[in-house]
Amino acid sequence: MTANSNLIPSLLGLAWLLPLASFVLIVFFGPRMGKAGKHAALVATAAIATAFALSFAALVLWLLQNPLSAPNPGGHAAERVAAESAKALSGEWYALGVFGPLRIGIGYYIDSLTLAMFCMVTFVSSCIHVYSIGYMHEELSEVVDPLAPLANGQPLRRRGRFCRFFQYLSLFCFSMLGLVLAGNVAMVFVFWELVGICSYLLIGFYRERTSASNAGNKAFIVNRVGDFGMIIGMMALWTGMGTLSFGDYRAVDTAGHRVTLPGIFSQVRPAETKHQLQVPDGMVKLASRPQIERIVLAHRRDTRTATAAIAGQLRGWRSQGLGYGLLVVAGLGIFCGCVGKSAQFPLHLWLPDAMEGPTPVSALIHAATMVAAGVYLVGRFYPVFTPEVLLVVAIVGCITLFLAASIALTATDIKRVLAYSTVSQLGYMMLALGLGGWLAGILHLFTHACFKSLLFLCSGSVIHACGTNEMPRMGGLLKKMPYTAITMLVGCLAIAGAGVPLLAVGFSGFYSKDLIVAQALSFRASNPPFGGLFFYVAVIGAGMTACYIFRMWYLTFAGEPRDEHIHHHAHESPKVMTVPLVILATLSVVAAWNLFGTGYGLQPLLEQARPVEQSIAHGVFLPGVTMPFEHEAHVPQIHTPAELVAFLAALIGFVLATAFYGVRKWDPEDARRTFAGIHRFLVHKWWFDELYSFALVRPVLRISGWVAACDQRGIDWLIDHLAISVAAVARFDDWFDRLFVDRLVNLVAQWTYAVGLRLRRLQTGNVRQYVMWLAVGTVMLFVVMSLYWNLALAAGM
Amino acid sequence: MMNLLTQPVGLSHYLAVSAVLFVCGFLCMATKRNILGVLMGIELVLNGANLNFVAFGSRLLRGGTSDGLGLDGQAIALFVIILAAAEAAGALAIALNFYHTHATVDVDRAEELKG
Amino acid sequence: MDAVNWHTIFFWLFAMLACGFAVGVVVTNNIVRMACCLVASLGAVAGLFFLAGTEFVGAVQLMVYVGGTMVLLVFGVMLTARGPFVSMQTGGGQWILATIIGGALLAVLLQAAFSVPQWMAPKPLVPQAAPAPTAATLGLALMGVRVDKLERPDPVLRKGMSGYLLAFEIISVHLVVVLVGAAYLARAKRALGPRPIGLGGRSAPPLGAAQK
Repeated sequence: MTANSNLIPSLLGLAWLLPLASFVLIVFFGPRMGKAGKHAALVATAAIATAFALSFAALVLWLLQNPLSAPNPGGHAAERVAAESAKALSGEWYALGVFGPLRIGIGYYIDSLTLAMFCMVTFVSSCIHVYSIGYMHEELSEVVDPLAPLANGQPLRRRGRFCRFFQYLSLFCFSMLGLVLAGNVAMVFVFWELVGICSYLLIGFYRERTSASNAGNKAFIVNRVGDFGMIIGMMALWTGMGTLSFGDYRAVDTAGHRVTLPGIFSQVRPAETKHQLQVPDGMVKLASRPQIERIVLAHRRDTRTATAAIAGQLRGWRSQGLGYGLLVVAGLGIFCGCVGKSAQFPLHLWLPDAMEGPTPVSALIHAATMVAAGVYLVGRFYPVFTPEVLLVVAIVGCITLFLAASIALTATDIKRVLAYSTVSQLGYMMLALGLGGWLAGILHLFTHACFKSLLFLCSGSVIHACGTNEMPRMGGLLKKMPYTAITMLVGCLAIAGAGVPLLAVGFSGFYSKDLIVAQALSFRASNPPFGGLFFYVAVIGAGMTACYIFRMWYLTFAGEPRDEHIHHHAHESPKVMTVPLVILATLSVVAAWNLFGTGYGLQPLLEQARPVEQSIAHGVFLPGVTMPFEHEAHVPQIHTPAELVAFLAALIGFVLATAFYGVRKWDPEDARRTFAGIHRFLVHKWWFDELYSFALVRPVLRISGWVAACDQRGIDWLIDHLAISVAAVARFDDWFDRLFVDRLVNLVAQWTYAVGLRLRRLQTGNVRQYVMWLAVGTVMLFVVMSLYWNLALAAGM
Repeated sequence: MMNLLTQPVGLSHYLAVSAVLFVCGFLCMATKRNILGVLMGIELVLNGANLNFVAFGSRLLRGGTSDGLGLDGQAIALFVIILAAAEAAGALAIALNFYHTHATVDVDRAEELKG
Repeated sequence: MDAVNWHTIFFWLFAMLACGFAVGVVVTNNIVRMACCLVASLGAVAGLFFLAGTEFVGAVQLMVYVGGTMVLLVFGVMLTARGPFVSMQTGGGQWILATIIGGALLAVLLQAAFSVPQWMAPKPLVPQAAPAPTAATLGLALMGVRVDKLERPDPVLRKGMSGYLLAFEIISVHLVVVLVGAAYLARAKRALGPRPIGLGGRSAPPLGAAQK
């Protein structure tokens, strides 16, 4: 351990806490920072920019300690086949609680993936913070919101929420960095929920609009479904392994010795099996409880021999596949959470609606970072996933990819196109991860973060200029907004995967998409009967991506203006907005490049964090599935055809878009009429909202309405009448009280008072009079006594 | 008349004297406006009571039969004397205080405790 | 004709003196005269005590009452006897009322005194049973020893006859307390105004009050 290795967690921890400090500052002093909280933006931006600087410093430190492996001449990252575990720093800053072997605390798990995520999140956030200063400036003064009409038809007038926006952004950055930094699943879950909260708050930023508040609720509720699965996964992990920590951790056992307890990764991939997937002992024991019971009964006298016998049997049980199911459940559960957060197939509905939030939020949270957190978590949990789980991941990703891309083809709202595009690209990542392409998926995460945030910011710039989201009302904006148009074109090329095949030069999306398609092809080769499906969908998806993204660009910027009024008022955005666009555009081009002439770049860096691939990647339940090694996809026999096919597909998509919308050779209306059924199907988003509404929402509403009716008619009635009867009794009591009890008490009091008044006269204060009374009393006593005395004497006589 | 002088006196005579003293004390208390006069009345009353105790405790007056109070009577008389002395001291202190505060010794003026 | 019973003669003498001076106390209005009459009356009562054979009590009566108490009383009289207070008249109505009640009381008491025949005339004195001096017996009884009860035939009764040690002690303490209290009450107070709080009663009075 060198001093530097201790410095990296500190740097990242500081980078993590800076946005929190900014959040707290803005919460308490935000409105007082300048006019209408104007300087709150500076505070938040400074915090996140410093965080980026710290993250970058940490990355440099890391590279000094762990130099990248030698690059191969092909420009692709060197493969690390040697069976060594990924380099990682793990530790704990503060233990919140220790429950037996389970430690819940604030810890960190840092590998090159963490560092790359830190740099990416903080960098994109910094750009978006700067952009937001320009985009949100309307919030500095009183806002008139025509989209939130009041009851009298007047538009709502409200105070601006400029500093509130940056407060939420800071909180989000803190949560997102915490999620990336987290050293155990519990902490991941906490920050997972925290980013969910931030997303909810920011989607509902214009909370007076019904659509915005509904979208916020929808996002939150849909995410709950996924999080429920994630909790199940966490419980499975905890039950099976007794710990939630990723890395190994030091602890003090009952005997007082300092021991190093294995974390999740070490238990699933122990060093003695050369880091191959193995069902942990705890899960095996859980699954083979009857056998253990029998052994314990047989060794009733001696627990030590029983323990030894159980340990001896473990290998046999494991080879029988006992406990494997629990591992699958754990993986599926964790993936369930990722499905919710990353808007994958059954739970993909919330993300397009989330576009109700301000556009910078869409760029930051719902395109670049938070929704990618699901992909990140799949990548983080990769060592735990069995081939069965990976197959599920691939299937879900595949369905999402196709579904979202097809909807994006027909959407007319510029942000919705981008939202569905995001969903689709996330599907790509999931597909790549599920097919064994860890690097492909994660690399796509990073490149996608760059170009998708760029695209969103460009769309924000357009919306800012036009005041509408609807593309049919735009058009011809190229001249009016050159910076926006050009940067957006760069983003479109990046997402479409433009590049020169065979030379391996292109935009960032070119590299990641090629890797994904190649992996799919490799999978097809390993699994002949059905594996081709994924490859075809990936290729078709590439074509659709190019098609919808250029359709969007053409509709927005090319052709004749369709709405003169909007076109007339459109203007280029201020510098504070265009500068981030240019920066992000540059990054969209170069993100996946290695440094010129060297092997240094994003891919080798991520390569360091790659979990060890499995040598025998067959599942127990599905022995037919084989996960191909990722490096197998890099051989020219597979890579070159994949590259060519993907390029061709994208080209076709581009040509189609150009033909329909660019040069107007064909009329889109014709196509729409020809495929009226499909068009309606796509415009209605595959009827998913209606399906859920019919299958889930409406039954739930009906049941809750029924329950509410029961409540109102039955229980309320009962309680009302109970209350009425109680009130009646109380009234009677009151009457009785006043009439009898009070009167009696008053009577006694009055009587006592009157007697006191009378007796008062006796109390003259005259001593002599008292003496007189004393004597009279004595005499009377004598007289009375003598009467009886005489009688008694007479009786005694 | 001679009979009165030759007859031995009995308990009743002492009781009669004590009754006279007692009533005189009472009258003193009841009629004197001077607080010291009242005090003197109290002394007289106590003396009358004392005489009663002594008479009942005396062996002479009971003709040698010790059915009376005996020594108890004398002891109680002693205690009464002592308590009377104490009471006189206390009462005099109160009287002086009263005199200081009201500049008079008229008990009729001491009626702050009137109801 | 029996011999003159000196006991009886002295009894009548002292009884007359006592009653006469007592009446004098009641009748006179002058406080100084009242005090003189009271002294005489109390002295006569002391004589009655002697006649009753309780010479120690009589001696105490003379010393404490006539000596001590009267000194105290006279002292008070001298302190307060100023012009208008020396003689204060009481209304005739009050006199009449008091006389009536006092007469009734006297009647009741006398009736009680003469109601028991045994009390009227004691049996002739038995010479050998002449009373012994009581001082020693009384003193021992105050110390807790009842020599006068030793000849009691009943052992239970004899045992139960305890002395007056406890009463003696209580009265001693009581006396001390009363005298201290009396001294405290009677001390000349110049400070009529409110005292400063928290410094106790013995602090110096305020200047303005001291000049009154």
